[in-house]
Amino acid sequence: MNEKPNYKEAYDELQVIVSEIEGGSISVDELSKKVKRAALLIKVCKNKLTATEEDVNNILKELESTEGL
Amino acid sequence: MPEKENDRTIFTLLEVTKSIQKTLSERYKSSFWVKAEMNKLNMYPSSGHCYPDLVEKKDGKIIAEIMANIWKDDYQRINNNFLNVLKEPLKSGINILFCAKINYTPENGLRLRIIDIDPSYSLGNLEKEKQETINKLKLEGIYNTNKSLQLSLLPKRIAIISVQTSKGYSDFVQIIETNPWGYKLFMMLFPALLQGDRAAETIMKQLVRIKKVKDHFDAVAIIRGGGGDVGLSCYNNYELSRAIAMFPIPVITGIGHSTNETVSEMIAFKNAITPTELADFLLQKFHNYSVPVQKAQETITDKTGRLLKEENLRLFNSVRYFKSITGNLLIKSHNEIHNKYRSLLQLTGYFIQRNREQQVSLISGLKRNTHLQLSNGHQQIRQTGLIFRKDMITYLNRSKAVVDQSVFQIRRGARFAFMGFAQSIDLAKIKLFDRGVNFIRNEKREIDVIEKNIALMSPANVLRRGYSITTINGKVLQKVEGVNAGDKMVTIISDGEITSVVNNIKKTE
Repeated sequence: MNEKPNYKEAYDELQVIVSEIEGGSISVDELSKKVKRAALLIKVCKNKLTATEEDVNNILKELESTEGL
Repeated sequence: MPEKENDRTIFTLLEVTKSIQKTLSERYKSSFWVKAEMNKLNMYPSSGHCYPDLVEKKDGKIIAEIMANIWKDDYQRINNNFLNVLKEPLKSGINILFCAKINYTPENGLRLRIIDIDPSYSLGNLEKEKQETINKLKLEGIYNTNKSLQLSLLPKRIAIISVQTSKGYSDFVQIIETNPWGYKLFMMLFPALLQGDRAAETIMKQLVRIKKVKDHFDAVAIIRGGGGDVGLSCYNNYELSRAIAMFPIPVITGIGHSTNETVSEMIAFKNAITPTELADFLLQKFHNYSVPVQKAQETITDKTGRLLKEENLRLFNSVRYFKSITGNLLIKSHNEIHNKYRSLLQLTGYFIQRNREQQVSLISGLKRNTHLQLSNGHQQIRQTGLIFRKDMITYLNRSKAVVDQSVFQIRRGARFAFMGFAQSIDLAKIKLFDRGVNFIRNEKREIDVIEKNIALMSPANVLRRGYSITTINGKVLQKVEGVNAGDKMVTIISDGEITSVVNNIKKTE
């Protein structure tokens, strides 16, 4: 299990969990683990929707360094 | 008139040019239609006149060139026709079919004066150019290249090619930044001209820049808007279209017009008619991601809740079942125990009863035995007592006899002793009496002598013998000291007192 899934992996894994839970193939013992995992995945997904990591200044710096050549 | 000098006729420049002017105006009296490429429009905004540079090329090389002019009024009319028909202004770099007159003046030389330009010819030419671009891209097999790229599940990072001041750009940014779902996109502007002659060139320049930092972006958005439907032929430019087709990340366009799609738009990953629609397209991608996540959350919550509820119910039923079973078992066990207890009680009672009877018979047997033994003992004790008494009596009688004898002897002894003692006391009594009488007689004699002496020494007897007692102030006078002349002196003699006064005092030597 990927400890730090990217948003696509998180999305895909989440769908798997949903189908597992919907299929009723999960025992109550497993359920807690799955739900915990799902909560983490949902957090990753939602975070991706509402956060940005890029920085204009960094990109400009990168551009300058290549254009300076 | 020309000068003559050494067989040479010399004209002035004006004479020559005027001659040319005359010849040409006679030769080219009417206007005629010409097709050419307008290399440069050279429009002067201050005067409103244009001085186009017209060329004809063959295999890319200029084989004919001429300067032309379009006077202000002609230009305005022609330009309006172009805008109506082509949705493009009259501009450099297009093929035109124009009506012109050859105009020659001594001041400006030869110029084609353009009176009219046929816009439909240029339109056809533009269409042809567009078609050529499409054909070329298809031939190269890159027509669908950008379309076949994979757009990120969440196109969050957008490189925007636009103009800061364009309405399309601000619409786009506003829609994305104020989206009510809180989606965040990273947008970075790479400014370029978006219409007209230099558009293709500046857009391509920015594409080159973005390519260098493409890892930071999910897509490139070319955004234009608010500029009407003119000046869009640049998007049919082969070089630009090729650059877009070959771009390593998806290029999305929102150029904003209502005419036919340009080639750039056709080959772009996604073409939205307006910047607003493009913004919605991106937000939709976020929805496509967000909604299933939200739904997953709901499904998981719901399903898990239901599953737990079912499990709870099952557990509850199990507990109830268990309770009822154990309850029954308990009641059954309780009854059994109670029955056992009762039968035990009964048995015990019976046993106790039996024991008690045995005990009673045992006790009565024991009593009988004890009684027997006691009466035996009693008899023995009585017998022993009798023997003992007899012995004691014998012994006592014997002892009494001894004592009686002893008493008798003591009494006799005592009587003798007493008699002796009384005799010696009587003797002592007589002796003591004699001695006492003598003693008292002697004592009386002595006392009489003493009495006689004492009587002789009494003051009265002394005074009678001629002695007197002198006193001053009641005190017996013994010394001359303290006696002063004039003191009253009393002299006591045997039959009275004499009172005198002291005259003279003389102490004996």
